[in-house]
Amino acid sequence: MNIVLRLAWRNLWRQPRRTWLTTGAMVFSNTLLVFMISLQFGMYELMIDNTLQVFTGHMQVQAPGYRDDQKMRQAVPGILPLATRLRDEFELDTIAARGWAFGLASSDERSYGIGIFGVEPDYEPGVSSIPGLIKEGRFLEDYDEPGIVIGAVLARNLRVGIGDELTLLGSGRDGSFAAAVVNVVGIFESGIPDIDRNFAEMPLGLFQDVFYMEGAGHQVVISAETLDAAELLLPQLVASLPADAGLVVHDWDALQPGLKQAIQADMSSAFFMYGILVILVAFSVLNTQLMSVLERTHEFGIVLSLGLRPGRLGRLVMLETALMGFMGLVIGAITGTIFTTWFTVNGLSIPGMEEMAAMFNLPARVYPETTFGTAIAGPLIVYAFTLLAALYPALRLYRLHPVEAMRIN
Amino acid sequence: MSSVRCVDLRKTYRQGDQDVKALDHVSIEIDEGGFVCLVAPSGGGKTTLLNAIGGLDIPDSGEVWVAEQRIDEMSKGELADLRLANIGFVFQAYNLIPVLTAQENVEFVMQVQGVPAAERREKSMAILEEVGLRGLEDRRPAEMSGGQQQRVAVARAIVSRPALVLADEPTANLDSKTSDELMELFTELNRHHNTTFVIATHDQRVMRYAKRIVRMLDGRIVEDLEQDAA
Amino acid sequence: MRMTPVLTRLAWRYLWRNHRRTIIMLSAIAVGSWAMIFMTALTRGMVDQMIADGISVLPGHVQVHDPEFLNDPSVANRITIPDRELAASFDGAEFRAWASRVRVPAVIMSERESRGVTLLGIDPAAEREFSFVSYDEVEGRFLESPDDNGVVIGRKLADKLDTEVGKRIVLMSQDPDNEIADRGFRVVGLFEASMPSFEESFVFIGKTTAQKMLRIGEATTEVVFLGDDYRDVDPTYELVAERVDGGLDVRRWHEIDTYLGTMLKVMDGFVLIWVVVIFLALSFGLVNTLVMAVFERVREIGLMLALGMKPSSILAQILIESMLLLATGLLIGDVLAVLTIQPLQGGIDISAVAEGMEMMGASSVLYPKLYLDDVVLANVVVLILGFLASLSPAWRASRYEPVEAITKVG
Repeated sequence: MNIVLRLAWRNLWRQPRRTWLTTGAMVFSNTLLVFMISLQFGMYELMIDNTLQVFTGHMQVQAPGYRDDQKMRQAVPGILPLATRLRDEFELDTIAARGWAFGLASSDERSYGIGIFGVEPDYEPGVSSIPGLIKEGRFLEDYDEPGIVIGAVLARNLRVGIGDELTLLGSGRDGSFAAAVVNVVGIFESGIPDIDRNFAEMPLGLFQDVFYMEGAGHQVVISAETLDAAELLLPQLVASLPADAGLVVHDWDALQPGLKQAIQADMSSAFFMYGILVILVAFSVLNTQLMSVLERTHEFGIVLSLGLRPGRLGRLVMLETALMGFMGLVIGAITGTIFTTWFTVNGLSIPGMEEMAAMFNLPARVYPETTFGTAIAGPLIVYAFTLLAALYPALRLYRLHPVEAMRIN
Repeated sequence: MSSVRCVDLRKTYRQGDQDVKALDHVSIEIDEGGFVCLVAPSGGGKTTLLNAIGGLDIPDSGEVWVAEQRIDEMSKGELADLRLANIGFVFQAYNLIPVLTAQENVEFVMQVQGVPAAERREKSMAILEEVGLRGLEDRRPAEMSGGQQQRVAVARAIVSRPALVLADEPTANLDSKTSDELMELFTELNRHHNTTFVIATHDQRVMRYAKRIVRMLDGRIVEDLEQDAA
Repeated sequence: MRMTPVLTRLAWRYLWRNHRRTIIMLSAIAVGSWAMIFMTALTRGMVDQMIADGISVLPGHVQVHDPEFLNDPSVANRITIPDRELAASFDGAEFRAWASRVRVPAVIMSERESRGVTLLGIDPAAEREFSFVSYDEVEGRFLESPDDNGVVIGRKLADKLDTEVGKRIVLMSQDPDNEIADRGFRVVGLFEASMPSFEESFVFIGKTTAQKMLRIGEATTEVVFLGDDYRDVDPTYELVAERVDGGLDVRRWHEIDTYLGTMLKVMDGFVLIWVVVIFLALSFGLVNTLVMAVFERVREIGLMLALGMKPSSILAQILIESMLLLATGLLIGDVLAVLTIQPLQGGIDISAVAEGMEMMGASSVLYPKLYLDDVVLANVVVLILGFLASLSPAWRASRYEPVEAITKVG
């Protein structure tokens, strides 16, 4: 080992308690940071995946203005051929066309206003998790069958079961009166109250007939393998749409602006907390290194009078800090990873999280997972601030005068 | 009546890999009103004996009696009370509490004793005057010379008129004039208040004031002489 | 106890003997306690606003329904007791306000569009205290009486329906026999709300008008009560529960909206965890400072012991020093917190993430709320934990042997 390195290392252990306490502060913060960052980013990913999987998909082709107003007449004409062409072109089955209308659904006993989707029975399962959440009956099979799939809460409120009739009333695309009688063929339960209470799906062909859509629909939903793949797909999709059709493509954060913003809001408060932790560690290091320099004033005076340059002493102090910081970094990253891994195996459940989880499409028990990135990001920042904090005591050495320094005991 | 009685004290320190006999079968009796100089080269055991008498250090064996109480078996708290009530200390160095002023240092023991503030003020001012530090009462130790600091320490040791004063090289940092003044002060207290003094020193001028000189070497008492004090 | 003044003086002077270290530690404590209080005030503000908004949708701190209504919100599950009988049964009880209303799901249709909404049939005079709509800020006018023939809808809904003040819309719901009950209304007013979703989902008509349209006579679907403080609704609950017939379901707001109720509790937990985490981050520095402070005055401690100070007084001295350090740091942190929160009382605009906040149930302006309880909690927790953390170095300091301490070199 290099002699300077050995000197720095030994200096650290002249006050083992102090070194351990300062390292302890780093380890504590690092452990917490690793855990929190792993948890946080794990949750974001889950939130995004779960929210988009339910219904939204990664992107949608829509008529301009539809995203904001959802008016019947803001429609995509010839939507089925369009969806078919896109599926062929991108060799992707996870593309499906939909129509949407609002209507009053009446059973024998109750009437509720609901959102009615016209979906492609063959392709909807590729872009939405709802077809897979059927708990009674079946999903739609035929483009024109007079069937409907509704949410569990809606079924309870309407007091209907499989095979019962529902009357749908609403306005067609041209504003005319639209009505149909359909049979409940399936009941789904997503666990998301809004969806279970307000959603119904019927075959797109029938939907187009009932609401006078004349072959039009409102959205072509596209799901990719991953978020990253979706990002790559987006420009190709835009390019492949007919230029004169005036259609727009929205990606997921345009479709679910709340999601990204909720993440941003959460991130900013999380970063505030992390920042405070890091600052507190920096203070701790500043204190320790300043004391360590001050109590060695006499000793430094001797070395300076022997002809050593202040710059080398400053570097020695920085090296000591770097060594101590490195211990904090390594131990902290390891304990943080172990701590997090415990929850990776056993899961984490906070009281009250069930209610919050339902709000963000999260499971009530989350399993945070550390990656190299989440394990190292926090500790690295702490390390950087550790070095920054040691600058002041290190720079003080330049002002040290050998004779005066030796007088101090 | 004896003020201090030590019976067959032994104390061994380990220094490096060697055992050092600091006290080797030491017995000594000091009467009330005694004025004793312990004289020894450094390492001769005089500080250890002084500390044993003051209850600061517990001997390995033997008995220490101060004011008719056996102190080597006392608890820390009892020892603290005993020192507070009966013994005044003057150490060689590091005598003062650096964050307190001269007057506060002098008042410190009285404050711990619970003496009311007015009385403390009055007594401390009087004693500072007596040791020649009038006007310096608001200085902190760092703002005073070594001699001035030592006089503050003496003032603190005698301010509450203890029956026994233990002093370890009290004149080590003083010039000859100041140390003579200090010794005169001790002598006067000894005469008028019958205060017992035990002073460890190797300063010839100090020895002149003693009524009894006890010489030690390697932890043993080698000579014990009464003399007429100067 | 007698020793406290002298020990305090010693502790304070020792604190400033190494002023650099003390200033650094004070800064750390001040930043830590500032962060505790500031962050707490922000989250409290957010949750308060969420709950205020949440309650304004419900609205009412205590609500009475037919037992089936919350599961099956239909006029079939209505309250048939007429208002004057209700008024008689609440005679003598003091509420900030109470009202009965008709709340049912409905469909609203313009010439071109239809949407699902919650229809509220209200007595505008009785609801003034409850409503999240400020009557005076409505474009056009608000409802004027229970038999007003107009409808007031949200601006966002009006946009989606392509309608405006003066135009007609149709409201459709069901009567108790599940016959379609519908009626045309003229839009008389457009309201704006702090949360966009309110504007889309609530539609106001007169209570009597609603009763006629739904053919329910003098029946309503809910009776609601406001107490003085949403955090403490039990007194109101007791008053109502005592006076309401056994057949009806009386609930506190947090029993109806469990999300909000839980948020309130989660936030209490969060505040405590945050305070403890910050303290732990501080504690290393605190213990370190004390260890160093003791270490560099071992000889002086020995001297004090030699002079007759009891070990317990040394212990007390170090503890007092630690408490003084913490208290001073906390004080600075508290003052900083108040100074930084004060200018933000008018609200922090976070509309950049408005839709995200709405997803959480919060609105886009954040009003920090500084509660004395939270400040006290932060300070007390730090002092208590700080005291415990200081015990070890203080204990060690009091265990020195005077001679060893005095003769210690270094």
